[in-house]
Amino acid sequence: MPDWTQYVRQNLRLSGLRAEREAEVIEDLAQQLEDAYAEALRSGLNPSQAEAAAKTHITDWPALEKHVESSRCGREAMMKALQNRVEDRDLAGGGKFSLFTGLLQDVRFGLRMLRKNPGFTLTVAFTLALGIGANTAMFSLVDAILLRPLPYPEPKRLIVVGTNQLGESRMSPMGTADFLAWRDRQQSFEQVAVLDGAGSFALSGMGAPERIPGVGVSANFFSIFGVAPLKGRGFLPGEDRPGTPGAVVVSERFWRDHLDSDPNVLNRALTLDGKHYAIVGVMPGSFRFPASDPVDLWAIRVLSPPAGRPPFGLHAFGRLKLGVSMRQAEAELDEIIAQVNAQYPSSTPLAGVVMPMKEWMVSEVSTPLLVLLGAIALLLLIAVVNVANLLLARATVRQREIALRMALGASRKRVVRQLLAESTMLSLLGGTLGLLLAYLAVRAFLAFGPGQMPRLNEVGINSGVLLFTFVVCVGSGILFGIAPALETNRPELSDPLKDANRSFSSASAHRTHRALVVLEIALALVLMIGSGLLIRSFVRLSNVSPGVQTDHVLTTAISLSNKYSDQQITQFWRQFLEKVQALPDVKAVGITMSLPPNLLAITNPFTVEGQDYDRHRRLQLAEEMSVSPDYFRALGIPLIRGRFFSTSDRVEGEKDPMIVIINETMAKQYFDAKDPIGSRIQTGDPNPSSPWETIVGVVGDVKYSGLDSPSEPAIYVPYNENSWAGWAREMYLVVQTGGSAQQIVPAIRAELASMDGTLPIGRVRTMDERLDESLMQQRFRTWLVGGFAALALLLSAIGIYALISYSVSQRTREIGVRVALGARPSNVLGMVLREGLKLLLSGLLLGWIGAFSATRVMRSLLYSTSSTDVVSFVTTSIMLIVVALLASYIPARRATQVDPMVALRYE
Amino acid sequence: MFNRELKKGSAEFLILSLIEARPRHGYEIGKLIEARSKGRINFRIGSLYPILCRLEERDLIAGRWVERAGERRRRFYRLTPVGRKYLAAQRGIWDEFVLTVNHVVRPDHA
Repeated sequence: MPDWTQYVRQNLRLSGLRAEREAEVIEDLAQQLEDAYAEALRSGLNPSQAEAAAKTHITDWPALEKHVESSRCGREAMMKALQNRVEDRDLAGGGKFSLFTGLLQDVRFGLRMLRKNPGFTLTVAFTLALGIGANTAMFSLVDAILLRPLPYPEPKRLIVVGTNQLGESRMSPMGTADFLAWRDRQQSFEQVAVLDGAGSFALSGMGAPERIPGVGVSANFFSIFGVAPLKGRGFLPGEDRPGTPGAVVVSERFWRDHLDSDPNVLNRALTLDGKHYAIVGVMPGSFRFPASDPVDLWAIRVLSPPAGRPPFGLHAFGRLKLGVSMRQAEAELDEIIAQVNAQYPSSTPLAGVVMPMKEWMVSEVSTPLLVLLGAIALLLLIAVVNVANLLLARATVRQREIALRMALGASRKRVVRQLLAESTMLSLLGGTLGLLLAYLAVRAFLAFGPGQMPRLNEVGINSGVLLFTFVVCVGSGILFGIAPALETNRPELSDPLKDANRSFSSASAHRTHRALVVLEIALALVLMIGSGLLIRSFVRLSNVSPGVQTDHVLTTAISLSNKYSDQQITQFWRQFLEKVQALPDVKAVGITMSLPPNLLAITNPFTVEGQDYDRHRRLQLAEEMSVSPDYFRALGIPLIRGRFFSTSDRVEGEKDPMIVIINETMAKQYFDAKDPIGSRIQTGDPNPSSPWETIVGVVGDVKYSGLDSPSEPAIYVPYNENSWAGWAREMYLVVQTGGSAQQIVPAIRAELASMDGTLPIGRVRTMDERLDESLMQQRFRTWLVGGFAALALLLSAIGIYALISYSVSQRTREIGVRVALGARPSNVLGMVLREGLKLLLSGLLLGWIGAFSATRVMRSLLYSTSSTDVVSFVTTSIMLIVVALLASYIPARRATQVDPMVALRYE
Repeated sequence: MFNRELKKGSAEFLILSLIEARPRHGYEIGKLIEARSKGRINFRIGSLYPILCRLEERDLIAGRWVERAGERRRRFYRLTPVGRKYLAAQRGIWDEFVLTVNHVVRPDHA
């Protein structure tokens, strides 16, 4: 039997049909010929006669081709136009009802169009879903964290107060003296309370000792928020006065996990840091304060009047009285702080500052969040532009249909409305998908994102977020629908009716198309430059040396309970360090108050011998910490001059001259060319009677306030020096091992238990892990923006590719003529590439201008990278150029393969 | 038997009528026209096929691939709801046309 499919394929030359459609036509015709052949055989003809008979069915192949191809579009448009004319006539009835039915028709018709082109519809819907989904997810974060009011009654009246040094803008925590003075004298607040910065308590007496996150708070703490406890009560007024028994409120989580949801939990005793507290209440899980790092314990903080003004470490806040403004409250606070300044004449004078509580909670994350939202909005804009281009390309194909409808009496308004209805439906479809994506993205963010962010428990997809998504959908629907819709305004509309076969592209549509691609390139470049800057900054940040050895180093926090006296503390550490040092595989062990890269405990003012004592001079602060002699060796901190501390420096109980070690930065800044060894300094507020401390060594700089902060002067003191012994209650243990750092943990635990079974060991981290964690936020946003930029690059590459392909297909005839007249492939290639290049250059120019202004907002996120960093600008631009050229090269190659015969027959 | 123009003008009408009762495949439609017209109207595949395409593009008929055991799949064409309405309208017009033409060409019969 003859192969009829092959036969048809050989004879039928279809062009301009979709591949699937073409295959269908061939198969259908082949099947029919086969039927004819089979029938001829049945009627008694021999095979070759039957074959000849079947072949007579199709003799005029070119006519068949012409008819099959022409039936493809024209008629369809005619039918639709006829149908719509009837609908238009219905609409002419006027009144609200018909407007509504008109809208329904628009929607119905729109749905029909979308169903007819499932490939197109899905492409658009997915592009939009990505853009809208990402925006919705990011907006739900911004909404929960930055926009929504705090979840307490009348949250605007919640104000945080603090102090700052003259000329300093950021707010610092308050000292006890300042807080007590303010608490007793202020008139602006209904209630005031305080929270100390301590992060955890050692819980003992309930199985293995354990560190539980918690804070100390004053008596008014809970009543200020106005949140009712789940069980029991908050604290009573006066419960924070000296001499009252300890009280603690626990979180719902703690009640569940540690107290087995005991219904009689009230008045049960807890031993925290060796002190007894009675549980007076349980707070519901929804109550989180401090907001960024949920705590499980709020223990009463007894505030006794201090001997001096420092230390500073209290976060004070209050609920404003009705009718009192923040400005009034600040003026009053400032006055009270001035009185405290006078009370402590030798202390550095401070000023009072107030801040809305929400701002205080979220100010640190607001810039990164807004930058991310901006980046994601750019991405959506690129997606919208891409879709607009797709619609525009389709609009030129649909122009005949539209022209027909208008010729048959549809008003222009009606047609525009129809097109907008279609694009809005597309965006709603994308939005629905996007919402699903957003839901997943938010879930993923909560599970894997950087945890240290305030108010994460309030994040979710709520009505506000839904409204946002809806507005974005309708907005983008109108945005990308408007360009094609406006194309209907062209006077040459009647042209498309004149010729049945050609597809049309008006010059203006092409112009719009090109302008959109230029815009798309520009937007993508802005995003890419932004991400380039973040990546460069991140790489620099990752390469910053913390100043210490990071491998084979284990760190953890250990704090001694209140039952240890100052003297017992130093004894404990000396014995414990000896025991750990004796463990196999331990190379060096030390303890320290502050740990790199970002766990700085305190800064202290200092005076170098010879400086004056003017208390109004610019404050010079050093990071000051007490360490054990081997701390430097355990962390591999290099000795630059002089010597380390040694165990023989101090004999307990005796009064020796005080000695310190300083870092290189301090040596350079304050001792210039002089050798600092042997020089003397005083620490604390400038005071001629403070004891002198002698510098015995200079060590390398270590980052204690984050890799991104500049190196500050640092002063190390021996932990067992009399005035520092009390500070050694909470210390970080640093162990350098020969083998794997983690393997030593059980042995350290055992040594600790052997000395005191009630002491918990804190979270154990290798130094590498701590470095990694300190970069989590930066790494996260770098990856995120990098991902957006990659998507943007992809979308704009698709945009360029689509435009150039389209324009090549429109110019097939022209190219054919050129080739027929002797143009070489390289000429054709150059011609098409030039078109792409022109778009690219305009896009780049626009993008640079945009990036110059847009990246300025990122300044605070960049580490030692200028927001106009040339390398980032240039590399990302080159990347975009390469991708864009590639995207135009593919269709350009295709153009060089145009067969002039085919091209000319195209018409 | 009939001239080309007449055939061409009535082809759509004939096809729509033949698939009114049930879907048929392309070759079957041609054979059926030939059989019912007692051989006086016949269409070759090459001329019937473009008409099918056109009708399909206008949403009057819809083609669907149907597979039967032991046979290659065939494309069956059925009438769409629009096509059904269109056919009813065409029948009305046709009857009226025949009547009107008869009025004109055979006034005595009217």
